[in-house]
Amino acid sequence: MNAVRALALVAGALGLLSAVAGSPYRQQHVNVDVEQLARLVTREDDHVGAVELAKWIKERRAGLRVVDVRPAADFDAYHVPTAERIALDSLVATPFRADDTIVLYSEGGAHAAQGWVFLRALGYRNVFFLRGGLYEWIDVVMNPTIADDAPPSEQAEFARVSVLSQYFGGVPRSGVPRPTTDGLSLPTARGDTNDTDSLVRRVRRRGC
Amino acid sequence: MNHSRHAQPYSNPYLTGVGLGLVLLASFVVMGRGLGASGAFANTAAGLAAATAPVRAQASPLFAGYLSADGGVWREWLIFEIVGVAIGGFASAFVAGRVKLAVERGPRMSLHARLVTAFGGGAVMGFGAVLARGCTSGQALTGGALLSVGSWLFMIGAFAAAYVAAPFLRRAWL
Amino acid sequence: MTAPLYEYGLFGSATGLVVALGIGAAFGWCLERAGMGSARKLAGQFYLTDLTVFKVMFSAIVTAMLGAFWLGRLGVLDLGRVYVPETYVVPQLVGGLVFGVGFAVGGLCPGTSCVAAVTGRGDGLALVAGMFAGVLATGFAFKPLAAFYASTPRGSFTIPQLTHLPYGLVVLAVVAMALGGFRAAELIEARQAARRIDR
Repeated sequence: MNAVRALALVAGALGLLSAVAGSPYRQQHVNVDVEQLARLVTREDDHVGAVELAKWIKERRAGLRVVDVRPAADFDAYHVPTAERIALDSLVATPFRADDTIVLYSEGGAHAAQGWVFLRALGYRNVFFLRGGLYEWIDVVMNPTIADDAPPSEQAEFARVSVLSQYFGGVPRSGVPRPTTDGLSLPTARGDTNDTDSLVRRVRRRGC
Repeated sequence: MNHSRHAQPYSNPYLTGVGLGLVLLASFVVMGRGLGASGAFANTAAGLAAATAPVRAQASPLFAGYLSADGGVWREWLIFEIVGVAIGGFASAFVAGRVKLAVERGPRMSLHARLVTAFGGGAVMGFGAVLARGCTSGQALTGGALLSVGSWLFMIGAFAAAYVAAPFLRRAWL
Repeated sequence: MTAPLYEYGLFGSATGLVVALGIGAAFGWCLERAGMGSARKLAGQFYLTDLTVFKVMFSAIVTAMLGAFWLGRLGVLDLGRVYVPETYVVPQLVGGLVFGVGFAVGGLCPGTSCVAAVTGRGDGLALVAGMFAGVLATGFAFKPLAAFYASTPRGSFTIPQLTHLPYGLVVLAVVAMALGGFRAAELIEARQAARRIDR
């Protein structure tokens, strides 16, 4: 029997076997080492701040993937520059490269934190989430503020962040009174058409 | 360009096809992607356009995509691959004594007419390949082997259209 | 060790470019071996005188398809990480029709035109030039095409996903079709040869 005939027979046999062999795709291997995950959370190695994310985006960090887990309408209204939208249920089926740096964010951070657990369980090592969510991005990067009486170290930091902010089209403001809460302060409506105000309005408050 | 060895006959198409399939499989296993050709043309065209008419090149959504790639427009896998195709193709022809300066054409075609049809056919394929995001290498072979719906649609469309056009082109080939 | 090696971070993109060169060389070698750098040979496919194109293409497709399926099934290759070209139903069908006409006129395809050009064929060179012209023209005149170009997207979409049939069953169907096609090709070529002798 010549080579071509032999190959045809092999192909036919393999083809028949394929029909009954099941799926060629990998099963999801999930390893949830809860102690390790808890350690990462306590050491705060699970999340990044908005400024650090902004730096990574600006320097075009290799393998960086910024993932927005919100619904499409919210994503279209506003999203972090270079972000891609992947819903949580698609996230676990998305093949990332093993050495990619994945930064998840959601509106407030809760869904992104859940996504962090899923991706770490799937074995990805460089996964982070934006703890304050999109609100942190808007408040800290797009609309950084500083009080007039801030100490020099804060002034220096504000100067650095302002450069980043302007890179993304944000509006740094100085002379803003210190916020009384330690959380995120929404800009008060003063009738001005501040870009960030409309940004925040576009991030519809709906949940995680 | 003439060599002492005579042009050897071509190899068995089935065996060579299996070899080609193994190359494609190797690409899947090593790179996680398949082969391509027209993509290299589109990418190179984008680079050339940017070098000669940068503003208009950026204004084209097609070219802009290539120009904004990580590492620049020339650092593209397909460009290196197509250079490899040229090297491998030449090596095979050289070893088999099949390198020769010629213009292949049907018996009833003049040299000039053949060069015109080659150019024209290429231009049409360039347009078609952009729409289809690939050609016989990237879509038919790669997408075909991976059972992609769009690739099979492309393959069926291409073969069907060629068979319908062929009777009108008898003069070019027969 | 699992594959795809690049996706699992075994080497970086610079090495990937060297791999591209090597894979391309093997690709070009196989194409030329089979005579796919010859426009007359390729055109013979459409006059049913020389069905090499079909034999080579489908031998390759079946080999790679079976290889991918079985390496996946055996856990050697993570098939989910192999990039499947995205589907755009209408543009790819229309693109195929247009491409087919160009192929019948030109007698070479983009990959084989490079092989032809580099082995001294002037028609290959002319076709390469034509391809550049076509792509450049399309690129510069792209704006009115953009909406059509992006229409009917389905992402990476396979026949098993479309038909909800098991992957392996689709594999069998393709193998059966290819083997049947090869048998038919041999019969057609034999009949054509017999006709030429009678003439």
